[in-house]
Amino acid sequence: MTAPMLRRLGVPADVSGRRLLASRDGLVVSVLFYLIVSGVLSALWRAAAGEHGEVAGYTALALTWYVFTAEAATCAINVRLIEEVGDEIGSGAVAVEMLRPLPVVAVRLAAEVGRCTARLAVLLGPGATYAWLVAGPPPHAAAAVLALPSLVLAVTANLCLQHALAGSAFWLRDTRAMWFLYQKLVFLLGGMLLPLEVLPGVLRDVAMALPFMAMSYAPARLASGHLEPWLLLVQAGWVVVLAALAGAVFAAGQRRLQVVGG
Amino acid sequence: MGTPDRLGGGPAIEAVGVTKRFRAAGSTGSTSAVDAVHDLTLSVQHGERLAFIGPNGAGKSTSIKMLTGILHPTAGTARVLGLVPWQQRRTLSERTGTLFGQRSQLWFELSPRQSLRMLAAIYGMDRPQETRRVAELGELLDAADLFDVPVRSLSLGQRMRCELAACLLHEPAILFLDEPTIGLDLLAKRRFRELLVTLNEEGGTTVFLTSHDVADIEHVAQRVVVISAGRLIYDDSVPAMRRTMLSTKLVDVGLEHAGASLELDGVSVLEQGDSSARLSVDTTRISIREVLGVVLDVWSVSDISVVDPPLEQVIAEIYAERRS
Repeated sequence: MTAPMLRRLGVPADVSGRRLLASRDGLVVSVLFYLIVSGVLSALWRAAAGEHGEVAGYTALALTWYVFTAEAATCAINVRLIEEVGDEIGSGAVAVEMLRPLPVVAVRLAAEVGRCTARLAVLLGPGATYAWLVAGPPPHAAAAVLALPSLVLAVTANLCLQHALAGSAFWLRDTRAMWFLYQKLVFLLGGMLLPLEVLPGVLRDVAMALPFMAMSYAPARLASGHLEPWLLLVQAGWVVVLAALAGAVFAAGQRRLQVVGG
Repeated sequence: MGTPDRLGGGPAIEAVGVTKRFRAAGSTGSTSAVDAVHDLTLSVQHGERLAFIGPNGAGKSTSIKMLTGILHPTAGTARVLGLVPWQQRRTLSERTGTLFGQRSQLWFELSPRQSLRMLAAIYGMDRPQETRRVAELGELLDAADLFDVPVRSLSLGQRMRCELAACLLHEPAILFLDEPTIGLDLLAKRRFRELLVTLNEEGGTTVFLTSHDVADIEHVAQRVVVISAGRLIYDDSVPAMRRTMLSTKLVDVGLEHAGASLELDGVSVLEQGDSSARLSVDTTRISIREVLGVVLDVWSVSDISVVDPPLEQVIAEIYAERRS
């Protein structure tokens, strides 16, 4: 992808992000949902850790910041994206987007990254305030700062894989089962519900080797006080791989697109 | 972008033997092949306004999708502005505009102006270019006040004007329009047709139009190509189609008073009242001159005129003739 193309893609990202920020009602619901889910889940983890105890090396404070960050990475995403994009492919609506001089998947990803980054920005303020009030400040300031770019990489990796899977609609026509499975994988193997260190040996190793860890676990691990910059490199690597996969799936799928009639 | 493309002086669109075969799975698990388009050979010159018509399922939309590069043909070759559409789709899209009447290219959650901003960036236009072009289109399409209304709040006619703005933003040399007036009211249709003719006459834009609305053909097209069951069955100018395909003329007669009944071979009386009558004349069996002579002899005529039947009837005759 060339620099001029990236500049052109910046506009869909910017316009979509601004548009999202203008839809106040939707944002209020998103923030409320995020705070309720994160609040309940973090309370459970704090109870499990006890006041001075730990769970898999995470203190109650670390677990609180872990949960709020992991939830932010997931709540920023449209969870039914696979289904929606799949429907547009299955119905042939995607044909209109093929009549533009930039790759369909690149424009879609740019717009979605813009939208999700804007939603993320909105979620983080109330989320950080809540976590600070109930548990205390972030355990490690520098690691918390690194969690910010890590969150953007997390939603980008998530969007890339969702588009790659949605592209299967060029062959399968129906992706509803796929998004259901995908969502659960992100919840469990992505570390959204629990830190991956909680998983037993082999399962933990498998989860750490899969791309889902880049979508929730990585920023949450940083925000929970672990200064591990290599996580950003792993995420960036996954973004490159998953973006290439999404591009390849769409390129192959478009060739076999069957659109009959208007 | 910019002025219409006339690369190499060749035709704007040239298709030779283009075929698209779809495979469909049957209920028993077997597959069958259907030629949606079969051996289509067609040439369209720069600046032409062509109507590409046919009954439902004739292959019109499939042809447009091959000519714009969305679909790959099973056989045959085509060049649009010198490019092979399915191999150079994205390059071609910089010089063509396509409007599908049943599919929107605007983002529903955005206003048209935001959609145009996105499209301008996608087409590589800089901000001053975009501002100038959006203002021009707002004026041309009388749509400037619609550009800030959310797309979902626009009426169909208003939305179609914004769709056309999106289609014209990058100043395409060819416009592919697939049933663009579908669902529009009479006034909106008329306005849309006038716009297409203006764009063609003032900007030299080639217009490739499919429609089921005969008035679109009558008021926009200079040339008609008829496709049926995937095969091209007719290709001529609109006036030539009227001339050559017209075996029937209508004679409207104004009467000073009620006349006797008229019986002539090749003539049917469609309506007859005290003050007027309408005759249908099969010119392959009797000449108009002969009919007029008899009418003037037997009736007291106050007025008489000979008209062509509606284009709709002509097209129906083409379909029926080729089918038989």
